[in-house]
Amino acid sequence: MGRVRDILVIDDDKDLVQSMRIILESRSYGVRVAYNGKQGYERIEEKTPDLIILDVMMATDTDGFDLAYKLKNNAGYKDIPIIMATSFTQKIMEQGPEKFQHILGEAWPVSFFIEKPVDPEGLLSIIEKILDEHNVE
Amino acid sequence: MDPGYELVKQHLFFRKELMERIPWLIKLRWIVVFSGFTACLIGHSFFALYILPFILILVSIFFYNLLFQVAWKRISPASDFNRFAHVQISCDLFALCLIIYFTGGIQSPFCLFAIFHVIIAGILLQPSICYFYGILILFLLGLIIFLQQWGFIHIYHFRLQSVSYGFEATDDFISYLTLSTVIFVTAFLVTNIKLGLRTKGRELLNLAKSLDESNTKLTALYEMVKQMRMCTESRTLMDSTTMWASRIMGVKACSIKLLDSQKQKLHFASTYGLSQDYIKSRKSIDLEKSHINRKIIEGHSYTIGHIEEADYFQYPEDIRKEGILSMLCLPLRVEKMVFGVFCVYSDIYYSFEDKDVQFFSLIADLAALEIEKLNTDINRTWFLQKAAHQLRSPMHAVVSMLNLIKKGYIGKINSQQEETAGRCIARLEMLDNLISDLLRLSIRRTALSVDMNPTQASAILQNVSSLFKTQAREKSVEFIIKIDEGLPAVMATEQMMDELFSNLISNAIKYTPSGGKVTASLSGEEGKIRFEVTDTGIGIPEEAFDKLFSEFFRAYNAKEFSEAGTGLGLVIVKEILDSLKGVISVRSQVGKGTTFICHLPSVK
Repeated sequence: MGRVRDILVIDDDKDLVQSMRIILESRSYGVRVAYNGKQGYERIEEKTPDLIILDVMMATDTDGFDLAYKLKNNAGYKDIPIIMATSFTQKIMEQGPEKFQHILGEAWPVSFFIEKPVDPEGLLSIIEKILDEHNVE
Repeated sequence: MDPGYELVKQHLFFRKELMERIPWLIKLRWIVVFSGFTACLIGHSFFALYILPFILILVSIFFYNLLFQVAWKRISPASDFNRFAHVQISCDLFALCLIIYFTGGIQSPFCLFAIFHVIIAGILLQPSICYFYGILILFLLGLIIFLQQWGFIHIYHFRLQSVSYGFEATDDFISYLTLSTVIFVTAFLVTNIKLGLRTKGRELLNLAKSLDESNTKLTALYEMVKQMRMCTESRTLMDSTTMWASRIMGVKACSIKLLDSQKQKLHFASTYGLSQDYIKSRKSIDLEKSHINRKIIEGHSYTIGHIEEADYFQYPEDIRKEGILSMLCLPLRVEKMVFGVFCVYSDIYYSFEDKDVQFFSLIADLAALEIEKLNTDINRTWFLQKAAHQLRSPMHAVVSMLNLIKKGYIGKINSQQEETAGRCIARLEMLDNLISDLLRLSIRRTALSVDMNPTQASAILQNVSSLFKTQAREKSVEFIIKIDEGLPAVMATEQMMDELFSNLISNAIKYTPSGGKVTASLSGEEGKIRFEVTDTGIGIPEEAFDKLFSEFFRAYNAKEFSEAGTGLGLVIVKEILDSLKGVISVRSQVGKGTTFICHLPSVK
């Protein structure tokens, strides 16, 4: 377990990215950041991360989802675990706008959902759990 | 409409009249028989008249009428009522001639009775038949005179004794002429009046028909508007419009084309009855190139009676191949703003009359209004969600950063600082709840009843309660839940029931101090289910009752007791109950506790 785990945080809110970086680095994770889907994909191409924390709505309303789908459909990246951070509660998503409907109909391409605002301990325990499971595989 | 069918309908209408008159005639004949017998009796008793021939005639009338009565009951609806009427009138005529013969021939006062037959024939049958019976009776009377004058038959006088004839041939001729005039004038009057009545009847029939048609259309229109109201997506709304418009008016096809955002091109948004090939070949219509569509967008309507007649289309063959022969195109507009084209296609040339154009315009205007309204609703909801998201984003960043401070990720802090950061977070969480509630309320107000299904309230309550058990335990509040078995379902969405239960239970727990008790129970009453939440909490002051369900209201003791609370929870509860046609009542005493009781109609 000597290797530093590489986590990619993709979110357009710089303050939020900074907070997550502080939380993650406190546990000695390696943190890289991107501020939109396109940038995020570039970072992934540079180096495949161990885990991605992804925001739903960035440059466009579905930027996060679009990236998640792109990764799921790419054999090289489809196994990267994704934690999706959203300020939409599940309930609102269910009756949400038409624009989400096409996404809601399908299986979601993510491992986990966390609700914003992010609770540091909660986030860390989820990450730990996911990375552990991934290690076993 | 099929003209043949209309004629048949009219024929049936008048035939009905004939059918009603026939039993009336039979009834009338019974009266004749009865009065005849009475007259004979009186004549015989008081005036010593010789009544045997009359009795015989009356008896035969009695029997043939009996025959008619029986025949009428057995007669099938398909049989010829005209012939039945002919037979009756002929029999009567023959009987009358016999009576006339036995009472003095042309000089008999019974000759006047011939007029009745002419009238009856005029009412029941065609004008020519009425004249025919007039002539027939005159012929029979003429025959009697002839035979009497020439001595071939006896002349009976009124007292029914064979007497020598006391009248000259001239007298008879004058009487005969007078009677002929009377009969023909009667026939003329009756047939004329009858003709007038029949024309009026026909007009009434047409009026009833058009009323019937408009009624059908209006009912369908109402149904269409009702369906449109239930749509939550513009696509289904437009599909339902084109389908209903085609069905109501019985046309081949119908389409809605919408302008793109640059207002340069038209796209098919919904079609009914058009082939995929046709739609594909006209995927987008450039207004620059289509004169007719440009005109419609400017607000004009077009009726094209014959697609090949004028230079309306570049390729009329394509349209013909689709089976379209005439077309009606109308602008879709709200006030002066045109945003699309509503087209109706028919497989008959010149299919659209003025009244059809009017009716389709009405449909187009209604559809335009509903489409616009729905779009406004969708845009509003979408805007609200975006606004909520924008409000939340910075708040979430702030909370995340406050968490860093509070949990010591960026340096050690003292307990006072930690507590302050904690309070900041708590206030921001309240703000978050407020945004959620506002969003929920705004969505609830636009949500429609289409999504409602028979829902098992007990299962949902069971779920909700398990979430609140922890919360109650943490607060040392005893939480008891009672759910009756075999409760009927209610017409609702799971979401609504969930929110209804959650809001009331969370309120009860929130406003009950430690050591208190909250009881939630679900039971059934006749045609209803009853949900009751009782707490031993702070209670609601009486003066607050009126404002309990109004936005942002919180009673003074609630504010004192707990900072958290948006003042929207009960508003949401009330809105849910209103849309489920339920009622809520409250009983409360300050310091003792509160009971909320909801009644919801259950599904039978």
